[in-house]
Amino acid sequence: MSVIDLGGGVSWVHESFPETNGHIHVSVYLIDAPEGAILMDSGSFHHRQRLADRIHDATAGRGIGAIILSHSDYPHSGNIPAFRQDWGDFEIIASCGDPDLQGLPYARRTKIGDVTEVLGRRFVVLDPPLADRNHTTWVYDEASRTLFVADGFGALHAPGASHVDWGRLPEEGRAEGVHEFHAQTLPWLRYADPDRVMGALHAMLEQHPPAWIAPIHGPPIAEPDIPRYMADLKAALTRIAERD
Amino acid sequence: MNEPGSDTETTPAAAPEPAARTGAGWRRDVWPGIHWIQELGGHRAGIARAVLESGADWYRPGNELYVPQNAYLLTGERTLLWDTLSPASGHILLPALEELLGDRPLDYLALSHPDVPHAGNTMQVLRRYPDCQLVAPAVGETHALYHLDDAMKVGPEDEIDLGGLRVRFPEATFLDAAIHTWMSEEATRTLFTVDWMGFPHQSGESLRRTDEIDTVVDVGRLEEFHSRVMFWFQYVYPHKVTAATDALAVQFAGYGLAPAHGLPIPGEDAAPYYELMNEVVRRVAAGGRGGVL
Ligand SMILES: [Fe+2]
Ligand SMILES: [Fe+2]
Ligand SMILES: [Fe+2]
Ligand SMILES: [Fe+2]
Repeated sequence: MSVIDLGGGVSWVHESFPETNGHIHVSVYLIDAPEGAILMDSGSFHHRQRLADRIHDATAGRGIGAIILSHSDYPHSGNIPAFRQDWGDFEIIASCGDPDLQGLPYARRTKIGDVTEVLGRRFVVLDPPLADRNHTTWVYDEASRTLFVADGFGALHAPGASHVDWGRLPEEGRAEGVHEFHAQTLPWLRYADPDRVMGALHAMLEQHPPAWIAPIHGPPIAEPDIPRYMADLKAALTRIAERD
Repeated sequence: MNEPGSDTETTPAAAPEPAARTGAGWRRDVWPGIHWIQELGGHRAGIARAVLESGADWYRPGNELYVPQNAYLLTGERTLLWDTLSPASGHILLPALEELLGDRPLDYLALSHPDVPHAGNTMQVLRRYPDCQLVAPAVGETHALYHLDDAMKVGPEDEIDLGGLRVRFPEATFLDAAIHTWMSEEATRTLFTVDWMGFPHQSGESLRRTDEIDTVVDVGRLEEFHSRVMFWFQYVYPHKVTAATDALAVQFAGYGLAPAHGLPIPGEDAAPYYELMNEVVRRVAAGGRGGVL
């Protein structure tokens, strides 16, 4: 299997990495735009060759025309230099105060609140309530109603379940996978008020209603499954807050 | 990107000359055995505007405003480099290391966290000093995704004796990445707080400690930094953060503070800064984030 089609020109190129209590996705997404293929993040160097091969196949050898980068964290940005060697000096769209400091001197800078056009497709740049680095952005693809959420909305999964969307993961262990991901990935949640985080997320989902939520570190979440994910997330945040 | 020589608009009369500063890099002894290598980055015009609008009196219009990256070289009988600056500043870090170390080897490179502006020259340093032991935080699950699987892993139980200097690795209380540690040095009593306790400085204040500048570091100045970098202060229960800060103030009473994005604070002056940070948290929790760095 090469990539998984989510509809609206968006596909999920999933890769996973084994951890102690489950596997974590370190994926990317491909978007078919009028003027070429957009890659959302670049994945980890760990999966470089497999990602390159699958992107090559999925784009019929044309490769990618632009990368929208959520943040400079290495498992998201690590393949940019190699992919630029494979497919030319395509455009990098990234949010950060100073691209040089993030190792992205060639990036086009976006800001939270921007509506930006990439290869003929429109994206809304959003302030992420769940992130590790301060310069992280989420983006909403208006055409497909896909919300790309970087380190947000993650979940660990059992080995062997790396290709199914979140709603089709086995019920057993699914909520625990949401908790485990947040406990280990976003250490600041130990101080967070779950109501404030959930309130910001609900407001965003209302303003930009997603057909899919597309995380890097978890399976995509389909619209009908979002309420269940949000309930599991609220329980996870509450557990983390009560532990400390 | 500013050249080091451009940072000369105002020179506070009380500040001593840095021990060594050349075109090759920025460095000086900040405390005995602790050398400071600073990357200024460019002038932060957006923050400068916000500072002026806030009515702050520490910033003089027309000066350049910096949010620096700091690396620290510790030299006992053995040597340890704490962080590596951003990938834009290999040309500052490596010549500074060569001059500070001379013929001595670099024994350890310790990374606070694998964040680009902190770890950006890791490979260059390891290539230049191939016998150097890479040291990384033990906490976290995904070391292999950061080329840290073969590093020596350290946590709160660990100490590295440098001969004359001893470093420990207390938990990072306020942090971004999951793979993260703070460091303390016990002979000089210095706490390296990485992304916490940073603040902007202006022309003439680079490579000065807080006791060597004429301007004050107040709540607003600390807020300019933390309301951007610790954007998540907007979502916290403030009392949880202030309780953690109060605990640090007790645990590290008398320690000097050596942040990665501000000026070092001498131990005898450090106590009030903890209370300033508590006010920063209350303000960001009430007013929201200040922007992006
Ligand atoms: Fe991240
Ligand atoms: Fe991530
Ligand atoms: Fe950081
Ligand atoms: Fe930092």
